[in-house]
Order: sequence, then C-alpha cells, then structure tokens
Amino acid sequence: MKNKRHPGLFAIPYVLWIAFFVILPILLIVWYSFTNTNQHLTLQNYHTFFANGTFLRMSLNSFWYAFLITLATLLISYPAAYFLTKLKKQQFWLLLIILPTWINLLLKAYAFIGILGRQGLVNQFLQLFGLGPVNMLFTNFGFLLVATYIEIPFMILPIYNAIVAIDPALIQASEDLGASKWQTFRFVLWPLSRAGVESGIQAIFIPSLSLFMLTRLIGGNRVITLGTAIEEYFMTTMNWNMGATIGVILIVMMILVMLLTGNKPAHGRRMHHE
Amino acid sequence: MNIIELKHVTKRYDDGFVALHDINLALEPGKFYSLLGPSGSGKTTILRIIAGFTQPTAGEISFNGQDLTQTDAAKRPFNTVFQNYALFPHLNVFENVAFGLRLKQVKAKDVQAAVKAALHLVRLDHYDSREISALSGGQQQRVAIARAIVNQPQVLLLDESLSALDKRLRKEMQFELRAIQKKLGITFVFVTHDQEEALSMSDTIFVLNDGEVQQVGSPVDIYDEPVNDFVARFIGDSNILPGRMLGDFEVEFANRRFKCADAGMGMNEKVEIVLRPEDLTVVVPEQGKLVVRAQTQLFLGDHFEIKAVDTEQHEWLIRATNSVDLNEPLGLSFKPEDIHVMRLNESQAEFDARLEQYEGASEDEK
Amino acid sequence: MNKHTWLGKIYLWLVLILLYLPIGYLIFYSFSSGRNMNHFKQFTWLHYQTLFQDNRLLAIFLQTILLALLSGLIATAIGTTGAVMIDRLQQKRQQKVFLALNNVLMVSPDVIIGASFLIFFTALGIQLNFGSVLISHVAFSIPIVVLMVLPKLKEMDHTLVDAASDLGASPRQIFSRILIPAMMPGIAAGFFMALTYSLDDFAVTFFVTGNGFTTLSVEIYSRARQGIDLEINALSTIIFLFVLVLVFIYYLLTTRRFKKNGKIGGVIK
Repeated sequence: MKNKRHPGLFAIPYVLWIAFFVILPILLIVWYSFTNTNQHLTLQNYHTFFANGTFLRMSLNSFWYAFLITLATLLISYPAAYFLTKLKKQQFWLLLIILPTWINLLLKAYAFIGILGRQGLVNQFLQLFGLGPVNMLFTNFGFLLVATYIEIPFMILPIYNAIVAIDPALIQASEDLGASKWQTFRFVLWPLSRAGVESGIQAIFIPSLSLFMLTRLIGGNRVITLGTAIEEYFMTTMNWNMGATIGVILIVMMILVMLLTGNKPAHGRRMHHE
Repeated sequence: MNIIELKHVTKRYDDGFVALHDINLALEPGKFYSLLGPSGSGKTTILRIIAGFTQPTAGEISFNGQDLTQTDAAKRPFNTVFQNYALFPHLNVFENVAFGLRLKQVKAKDVQAAVKAALHLVRLDHYDSREISALSGGQQQRVAIARAIVNQPQVLLLDESLSALDKRLRKEMQFELRAIQKKLGITFVFVTHDQEEALSMSDTIFVLNDGEVQQVGSPVDIYDEPVNDFVARFIGDSNILPGRMLGDFEVEFANRRFKCADAGMGMNEKVEIVLRPEDLTVVVPEQGKLVVRAQTQLFLGDHFEIKAVDTEQHEWLIRATNSVDLNEPLGLSFKPEDIHVMRLNESQAEFDARLEQYEGASEDEK
Repeated sequence: MNKHTWLGKIYLWLVLILLYLPIGYLIFYSFSSGRNMNHFKQFTWLHYQTLFQDNRLLAIFLQTILLALLSGLIATAIGTTGAVMIDRLQQKRQQKVFLALNNVLMVSPDVIIGASFLIFFTALGIQLNFGSVLISHVAFSIPIVVLMVLPKLKEMDHTLVDAASDLGASPRQIFSRILIPAMMPGIAAGFFMALTYSLDDFAVTFFVTGNGFTTLSVEIYSRARQGIDLEINALSTIIFLFVLVLVFIYYLLTTRRFKKNGKIGGVIK
C-alpha cells in the first residue's frame, strides 16, 4: 500500500503526453480558429463560415453523406452480425471479416479506381446485360460506395459483440410469449443490441464526416466533405486559421454525435483514416 | 382426456448423444407434475420439447388430442418460466408482464387490468414500474411467473425455476407455486433435480434417468415404493441391502429372516431391500431385530443422523430423535411394512402388475 | 432453423466476397502484363521484378515497419505507466478525468489530429521529418495501450500486492513480479494495436511529414493520384501475405487465450 500514496515519477511521460498532445493541440486549434494570419484575435473565420453559403452547404452535404454511409453500412452489417452469432466457428469467421481491415486503406481505395473505372469490373459486368458503361469513378456515388465498403467490418464487430451477449433464453422467452420472428426482432433483439449499433454508428459517422483521401481518390478531387476542406486549407491554400475553424466545427459535430449515441468511445478503433 | 401426451418421443443430437429414449407421458388437466432427475437425465429436454424450443428426433406430442409436433413455440398455448427467468432487461416489471398481451394487441385498458391481476397473484402489487435489475432473485422469479400466467396458458412449464433461490426463499416459493396452481386450476409441469421440491409440490412425479422414465407415481408411492435402486437412492436417503426372498411375505437379509409385506416373487429370488433411515427405531440391543454400533452422529436440529455398522460390516443410516452412545451396541427395530423389497431389473409395469396381483390375493385371505 | 442458417451462410459468404473482392482484384492484376486493371493480358512476374528493384519503395517499406515497431514500443512503455498511474489514483473522479483525456485522441478524426499536431510542431519550431512523424505515431498510439492494459489491472486481485509486500517485496519487486505479469496480456495486445495503428495511418502522417520522410500509405496515395501503376498491385500482394502471416500468428496466440475467456482479445472488442 505504501506505493499507493505517491503516484510516482514513472508516470511523468504519460502526464506530459496528456499536456502536450491532448490538451495543447486542442487549445492551439481553437486559438488558430480565433485568429487571422497576423495573429490578431478575430471572429472573421467564423463569420466567413456561417455567412458563406458554400461552407454551410458543404457541412450539410458532409453530414448527409456520413448519414448515408452509416445507414448503408448498418443495413448490410446487422444481418451479417446476426447470422455470425448462429455459426459454429464464430471466431474464425470474425477473423475473416477483420482481416481486410488490416490491409492498408489506401490500397483498397486504389483497387476501386480499377473496379469502378469505365472499363473496370463493374462496367464489364453491366455490359453482360447490355448496360453501361456507367461513370462511377470520380462521382459522389463512387465515394459513398467505397466508404461503405471500408466501414462494414467496423459496424459488424460491435453489433456482433452486442448480439452474442444476449441470453438466448430471452429470444425463447419472447417466442414462448407468442412473438413472431419479426416481433422478437423488433421488441427484444433490436433494443438489446442497440448499444452495439450505437457504438458502430459512432465508429463510422464521425470518420465519415472527415474522410478526405477517399474524396480525393474516388470522389474526383472535389471538396465535398469537411475533412477535405480542412486538408485543402492546411495543405493547399495554407490558410491554417480557416482550416482550424472548420476543425473546431467538426469537433463540435463530433461531440454532438457522441452525446446522441452514448458516451462510450468505440473501442479498438481510433477513428482512423482521415 | 389428457391435455398433453408424448408418444414415443426420442431425441438424438447431431453428435450422436441420445437425450431421450422412447418417452411416453400423459398429463391430465389441472394437475401439478414434476419431472425429477439428475442433470443429464433428459428432464429439461422433455420440457423444451413440450414448449417447442426443441424438435424431437422421433415421436409426437399432442395437445388435447391434436398433433402439435410441427407447431412453433409461439403458437403453443403453453408458457414457460425459465431457469434464470429470462426477463427482458430493457423493459420494466409492467412491460415484462404485459409483453405477451401487447403482442396480441390487447386493449390498453385490459392489459392494465390483466397485468395488475397477475402481479397481485404473485404478491408484487406495487412493483409495476421497477426495473428488472432492481429486483431480488425471489422477486424476479415472481415476475417471471406473472409474465407467463398473464397469457392464461393451458399449461405452465417451469424449468428448474426455483434453483437460483436460497433455501428459505425456495421453501416459501414452493408453497406459493402450489397455491397459484390450485387457484388457476391449470396444469403445471415443473422440472427439478431437487427431490424434496418434487415431493412437496407435485400430484404426480416422473422420475427420469439416462433419458428414460424410471417411475411415475404420487410422491407417497415413489417414496414408499421405489421400483429400482436408482429411484430409491435418488429420492430420500436409503439403506439398501442385498437380500433373498424365502417365500411370500418372508425375506432374508443381513443374515436374518424377517417378515415383510411383499409377495409374488420366486423362492430364493435375489432382491434388494430398502429401509428408510427414519423407519429405523433405536432400541436396547436385546429388543432389536438387528444390532449395530454407531460410528458417527450429526446433530441436525430436529434429529440426529447416525452412521452405524452391523456385524456384517453393512453401513446403516439412522434418523433418531435422541443421541446415542458411540461404539456401543444398539438395537434397530422396524415393522414388516417398512421393509421394501425391490426385484432386480423390474420395470414399473411389471411392478404394478405384481402389486395388483398379490394385493388382491392378500385381501382374499382375509 | 436449418433453412435459416443456410440463408445466413449464403449472406455471410456474399459479404465476405464483397470484402475480399478489391484485394483479390489487386492481386489478380499484379500478374498481368498490361498497364491497367481492366483486361488481363498475359501472366508475368514483371511487376514484382520492378518492385524488388525499386530501392526507393523498398526503403519506404522498411522505414514504415521500423516506424511502427519503434513507435509501438515507446507508446507501449508510456501507455503502460499511464495505466498504472490511473489505476493508482484514489478518487473515482480523478480516474474519470484522466480516462476522458486519454480517450480524446481515440475519438478525434485523423484530420483534426494531423492538423493540430502540424500546428503544434510549427509553433514549437520542430522540423517536419522522421522525428515529427515518430512523435505523432507515439502520441496517437498511447491511448489504446492504456485501454488495453487498464482492464488487466482492474481484474487483478489487489490482495496479491498486499500479499507480496507482506512477504517482504519492495515496490520495485512488486512492479516487476506482480504487476508486469498481470498486465502482460494487455501490454501485448496494446503493442499489437499500436503497431496496426501506425501501419494503418495515413492522414496524420500526411499532415506532419516533411520532404525527407514518407511512409508507405503516403507513398501509395501520391502514386495512386497519378493513376494506375501495377507495381502497387505487386506491393499489395506482398502486404497481403505479410498480413496473413501476422494474422495467423495472432490467431494462434488468441485462440489459446479465448479458450479461457471466450473472446478474441482486444482487437475485436
């Protein structure tokens, strides 16, 4: 118990990390958002953001795309997660589902440049039915498709974990009380797996707001999400203050989403890519 | 008319394990049945087959004469009280109980009334808005019962429903369950591994082992007349000794001859003798039919449990109201009708037939 | 129920095919002698030959792995001490505050992390090169290590510590003989996660790297923006094989573990 009294010197690097890499960067980004290029305090950036229709439209767009990506991912992933819980070698199947997430995201995005191209796999397939060629690469649809593809495993896992934790007797109890399959899903399975769905949404919605490399590679180099805008201001136009402002807006949106979906961060996945 | 019948039901799992062999059961309306057996005896499998959660490999189950084998659990007029209650954690007490009614789109007013009545029956009158996690085990048990009976099932199935409760609560719930069953007048099928529970509540007990029904009967029948070694050992404590019939109403064991109440067996037939510990009376050695020496005794509050050995080194279990001196000779006395004779490998049908035959005979003698 | 599981299996197979389609597509065309991913011309090893003669790309590959190992090790060390510190805090409230701060980088989008670190390095006048990238990777890997190690400390029977000091162990001995073994599964999982974070990262590196240093992700990005280059396909095959081996090792390690607790460790949860 002696060692409990003083937390000790060993944790100094960790505390320094919190100070310099957690707190300070937030302060810096907020500071930048309230200053102009001459380091003078100003609300000009926020004024630009809210007075200018382009920014608001882009935010709305960004939100709308993130919503569509999340919805599509959920619709595909929920049945997959449910069926997974019915299998015998669940751990093996899970591994098969996770494995693609360990292949670098950039490589998978790059593959879609080929698959979605005018003479790529999808169009070759469509031509079998006398359709196409359809332009998918460098369209918003292409962006949505690839983003959904990327996010599917991150939705399956939390939902799987939630469903697998449900006592099978509860499903039987529901049937015993006269519930049809649909009623059992609606009144028992869905409410009891909601936590998993929520952490899946959290793990997907926020990164989807900020995707920038996918919009660059697949979405046709246009600034259609908040993430792309931030990248644009930091790396191309070099107006860090405006970039920081959009960043602060993004952080606020992120906090809103987290409040809506419960406050537990989705484990095992830093909101990576972008 | 039987409300439920199982005919030649067999259950074999994919891995080849046979959980049930050719089970035949007939349940009458309005009675309290227990399926009693050790774990792995198949009792829960029978319950699940009745409920519709498990499909039998062969055989059929009927309800009021109608074949139910292919009917979904949801459509059977039975409800189940699960082992760990399986209460929905996302719903409060009221909504748990109302679940089945809401599915049937019963009017809100009627749901209210029915749930109130069901909660009243299980003595949880003001608990409607409690969360499940805020209830004790005994209260959860009552909610589970209310949730099942509110749907007015024809048969209530209870799967080891009291096993998660502590001993005192369990006793209390035994009385209550029996009272609820009497009040509702519906059939209860109760699965348990606890013989005391089965004996105290049931009209009829099915004793199961290794996927087969060993014996069916009233608690008294099963306690007093176990058909075989398994039933005798599983129900209550027993002193079981090898013996030999010397003729009708006379048996030899522990190297002595005794008068007994059994007949209808062959001369010199090898049998097993069951003597219940509470039927043995401790007397002075001179008056005893047998003489033993006590080795250990435990005080259990209302009686002493004594372990003793006779001259043949057979161990005897005795229940006595007074303590005895250890390592001193003790006499044991018992009445002829306390001696229960079991034939080796006799089935219940054979046992019943023999009983009928010689009971008829002895009445004629009078 | 049987019909049900069949439908389910077919559905899962479709999802799996979808998940693996792009990867298979890349690998397939890595053997094509053509110049695009539309028509397979002839089988060739040519792109692999180009790849293995591309010293720049090979150097980047090695740098990326070195970066991952180094940042993983440092992050694991700092994160483990952080977990011990949080575990020792006396008040629940203090623990909560530290955990919340710990998780900030877990939930922040990468663009934000990248942009704020860029501001940070510029403000402190730190050169953008290998050093800045390494520091960033350490920084964003620390929280996951803490989250992997902390549950092991919470699960640990704390009377063990009392027992050890009762038997005369010094604080240092308690740390090395009681705490470290108890934390070991969490430390291993944390290190593994830190590795994958580092290998997987694109956005943060993209922001904080300078002229002198680049990682595989950034390199692929800049090449992919110029169009299709089947050398990248060849690289994909190599990376896929590399990941397969890693996953296989990981599977062997965790199947031993999840037999005990019924779940694949950290990565999935």
